[in-house]
Amino acid sequence: MKRITRSVLAMLAGTLFTAPALAQGADDVINQSFYPYKAGAPTAAGVNVGVLIDKNNADQFKAVLDPVTYDLLKKGVQPSIKVGPTDSFDVHPKYVEATRQNIGKVKIVGGNLEGYSAGRPFPELPSSSDADAGRKLAFNFRHTFSAGDNVQIKPFYWKYRNAATGKVDRTVEFQFNFLNFKHRVAEQPIPAVSPNPNDYFRGIYGKAFSPQDVQDTQLMILGFDQDQKASDGYLYLGFQRRVRRLETSQTTDAFLGSDLMIQDFEGYFGRVAEMNWKFKGTKTLLMPLYRHNEQKLSDEYKQPDGYKFVAMTGKGECFPDVTWQLRQVHELEMTPVDKSSPVGRRVMYLDSQTFVAPRTLIYDRAGKLWKSWTIGHTSTEHHLPSNKGKFAAIYDSFGMFDVQNQRCTTGQFRTEIDGSKSPVRMFNPQFMRSGGA
Amino acid sequence: MRITGKALGSLAMGLCAWGLALHGKTVQAGELGAWRINGFLENDTRVRQDVGLSKERNTLRLEADREFDDLGAFTGNSLTLKLRGTYDGVYDLNSKEYGRDAGGPICLEDTSGLIPAGCVAHGRGAFGGNNLQYGVFNGVPGAGLGQFGFNLANNPNDGMIVLGEPLHRPGGGVAFGVPVRPCDVDSRGCLGGYMDGSENDLRFPEFADADRLDWLREAYFDSSLLFSSPLNGEEQELFFRVGKQQVIWGRTDLFRVLDVINPVDYSRNNIYDELQDIRIPMWIATAEYRMGPVAALQDLNWQVVWNFDKFRPNSLGQCGTANVILDAGCFFRGMKNLWDNGGTVSNFALVPPILGQPGMAMTTDFGPNQVGIREVKLPNWTLSNTQIGTKFEGVLGDVSFSLNGLLYRSQLPSLHGGSEGPPAISPFANLLLPVDLQLPELLPGVGQYNTVPRQVPYLIAFDIAFPRVKMLGGSLDFTIAPIKTVARIEAAMTWGEQFPNTLRPSLYSESRVARYVVGLDRLTFIPFLNADRTFLFSLQIFGQHLLDHELEQGRLGQVGMPDWKDNWTATLFMQTWYLQDRLQPKLVMARDWKAGAYAMQPSVDYLLSQNLKLSIGANVKFGDGAQKFNDCRDCNPYPPFTAYASSGGPLLEAGPIGLTGFEPLGRFRQGPLGSSDKEDEVFINLGYQFF
Repeated sequence: MKRITRSVLAMLAGTLFTAPALAQGADDVINQSFYPYKAGAPTAAGVNVGVLIDKNNADQFKAVLDPVTYDLLKKGVQPSIKVGPTDSFDVHPKYVEATRQNIGKVKIVGGNLEGYSAGRPFPELPSSSDADAGRKLAFNFRHTFSAGDNVQIKPFYWKYRNAATGKVDRTVEFQFNFLNFKHRVAEQPIPAVSPNPNDYFRGIYGKAFSPQDVQDTQLMILGFDQDQKASDGYLYLGFQRRVRRLETSQTTDAFLGSDLMIQDFEGYFGRVAEMNWKFKGTKTLLMPLYRHNEQKLSDEYKQPDGYKFVAMTGKGECFPDVTWQLRQVHELEMTPVDKSSPVGRRVMYLDSQTFVAPRTLIYDRAGKLWKSWTIGHTSTEHHLPSNKGKFAAIYDSFGMFDVQNQRCTTGQFRTEIDGSKSPVRMFNPQFMRSGGA
Repeated sequence: MRITGKALGSLAMGLCAWGLALHGKTVQAGELGAWRINGFLENDTRVRQDVGLSKERNTLRLEADREFDDLGAFTGNSLTLKLRGTYDGVYDLNSKEYGRDAGGPICLEDTSGLIPAGCVAHGRGAFGGNNLQYGVFNGVPGAGLGQFGFNLANNPNDGMIVLGEPLHRPGGGVAFGVPVRPCDVDSRGCLGGYMDGSENDLRFPEFADADRLDWLREAYFDSSLLFSSPLNGEEQELFFRVGKQQVIWGRTDLFRVLDVINPVDYSRNNIYDELQDIRIPMWIATAEYRMGPVAALQDLNWQVVWNFDKFRPNSLGQCGTANVILDAGCFFRGMKNLWDNGGTVSNFALVPPILGQPGMAMTTDFGPNQVGIREVKLPNWTLSNTQIGTKFEGVLGDVSFSLNGLLYRSQLPSLHGGSEGPPAISPFANLLLPVDLQLPELLPGVGQYNTVPRQVPYLIAFDIAFPRVKMLGGSLDFTIAPIKTVARIEAAMTWGEQFPNTLRPSLYSESRVARYVVGLDRLTFIPFLNADRTFLFSLQIFGQHLLDHELEQGRLGQVGMPDWKDNWTATLFMQTWYLQDRLQPKLVMARDWKAGAYAMQPSVDYLLSQNLKLSIGANVKFGDGAQKFNDCRDCNPYPPFTAYASSGGPLLEAGPIGLTGFEPLGRFRQGPLGSSDKEDEVFINLGYQFF
């Protein structure tokens, strides 16, 4: 009996050691991960809906601001932040269910996920005592549902601005499409595009329509399911009319002259393996998450269906003019594995409910702040009618502020989760050769 | 350098206009109903060493496309239109070099020792009867000797340059006068349907040929038919594009190994413009079966291309314009003029050894229909003359690949001469009597005494043809991860291409040709030059191997095919980006290995505003320059009169012994880089998007 008891205890201990999530309880895990505000929205002293935070009162709210936002507010570069209500950005129930089915089954083996099928790979709350917590969060971010199973961003206006003078140097019109080849949960084909001999996980396709020097440029990056494997990349240059293969480890060039690098797309567009990840703690901070339909929107670029884009504000109109809300976020510090990278480190704030990255701070190799990266997100439930019921925190606006060079690039766009607009046939080089989208 | 006042005035006006544009408001792509429209203006001004203004090209481009609703099962329907019109002001602003006032009287080198000045005016050559300094070799004064000599009234000494100018002097080799004025001003030497541009045709090249509609640069309709695969039920696509278009194959910049479906207009800016701007769009139907993933292939596509347009050769540039690649246009025009009107050829007829040193040659007056180019044989439109190709393209693992096959016509001309050339009149006919005695062929060298035209082996009398060619090839690209480099490889083999060959009685022969390019692209940080942005280094090595190459050592030098059996050209392209990509310094370097020719093109692009782009740069060539090869003066087509016996050549047998000169075959050794060795220029280019 004693022997049996010891065995059972040992098994239990082993189980507890290897699968803490099971010990925690699947429901608890799911609730903590996907419904953190079920018991109530986070609060902070004085941070009430409608409050305007600017250089005069920023000190009062320093605890709920990331350090760069605080600094920009203090200097008046970013004139103010208006506090909005904290919403629960409910994630698609099928993604949640896939997460539930996966709990405790996923491991990182050799830098790749093992045992992963769909949903959030590591839904458990991160722990500072877990040396791999940073990497787990990185994989959660990699497999976020922010763009659904597929999404189209069109039209997509990027403005290259001189922050000092406010002059718009260039306006580039793009279209971007994203497609998950695998781990799909909401839209057919589920769970994966098949056949997929190269075992791609995700594809991104982009095309520039104007101005003349970048017209018809197309970019496609196809990431493999195995994170350790470098992505395939293709570039179509309009003036050459040929598809060129891209070497994808080089993602730190300014993309078509903007202040964004390919690495900045979606918050961080690179492989987990390309960074060293460190979990710095979970905090409650103001983040640019909002209800699109309730924002002060721009009258620029009129659309046939009346859709309006987010307006810009602040120095050089470098910042999305949106409300920010209190969110529970995980702070991640990333340092490039490649020492020749011009990036010294990145600090990314991941929204714990959706695992989108509304704020990223980018430092140069000397450790000086280089760029402040803001991606505004809205829930699909407060956006286009066609997005309703898609339950994703979609990209809705952006502002990349180059602190050192006093420049910025802003993005105004329309995001639509619709599988028919990002078909699989779009994600191969032949599509680009024939002129693309 | 010479720039006319008129040119400066025009330039100043242009700059004012651009100044206005610079301060104009930002322009985005326009919408006109369902159409998306772009409009562009471009000015390209070039100044060439020792020539002055060489290009004042103003181009208007309009591009429009629109999508249509699905038509039954056909989706993704769209129509694309691209219009282009150019006015090149150089023909008005520098007409002394390019245009109605170009050229002048010429003096052709003579190494006979009989002419104290060392050169004779066009029409004053030996045997023509117009130059007593040649003594007995002048022939009958006013009448010449045999059929030598020509009527200066039909071929006056004006409006010409000496073939090969300014690259080289004749150097003891052959040369002749080449008319350089537009064909409506001077029709001599113009090749109908090939190189016969009037002044307006040269000014407005897109409107030169009413049948070709070159101003309608592209007009094509796209459509897709989606269906379920019969094999696996997956969605597949048939994609169609029909209309006037460019079809681009391969993975190579600059070099055309697989990218040979559309001919190319080298007259626009030699080899230095982007191919998309100089490919000549053709009426083509393409169908692509996009299979998507198949077995281990991530992607597989099968394309069929049917070029149903009337055949069109590359535009090599008309003599008298700024860009005449390989100077071929001048050689052709000079030769055509020789055929039609007769003419004076430098250093041709040997001085009998008793009167001079071996190799001393008299500049000789030929009569019409004796030597030269008779005509260009452009293939008519027939179904069998249309061109068809197919391509499999796909992705296998980490490698993208294509396999290509094409049945087409060579876009480069082939000169069929000698035994396959036009029937020519012997200059030696009626040598002794000014009447055709219709005598039987009495002497070895048959038939040299009557005026009946006939094909003569080894005679430098040609027709221009465009042979049928078969091509098989392929390409692939992949990443070499450890060195962060993308590799591109492209290779093709052709059957049916023709090359000059002085060993053959027809003066040409076919050769199978293997061509290949290896390209390496790498983005590299050079922090002390650009802390934020990489440099793009793109290295390409192009190789060409003639499998049926023929070359022999003759008594005086090499004879056979002037093209190199094996040759390589390397290019290195470097570029970086500053000021949010508004400032883009670039450097292109090229070396033709065997020719010993180099080209460098440093340039800087600067985006002055959203819509206005300025490029300035220079194009510099250097190296070994002109090359020599057997020129067939020694081919002895009319033995024994044309024998090089004093140099050891056979008296009664035709065929070369290796006498060399720069013209006409040296151009195949010096290549495009070496041929333009004296065409250094600086340029300024302004591009403005107004809609």
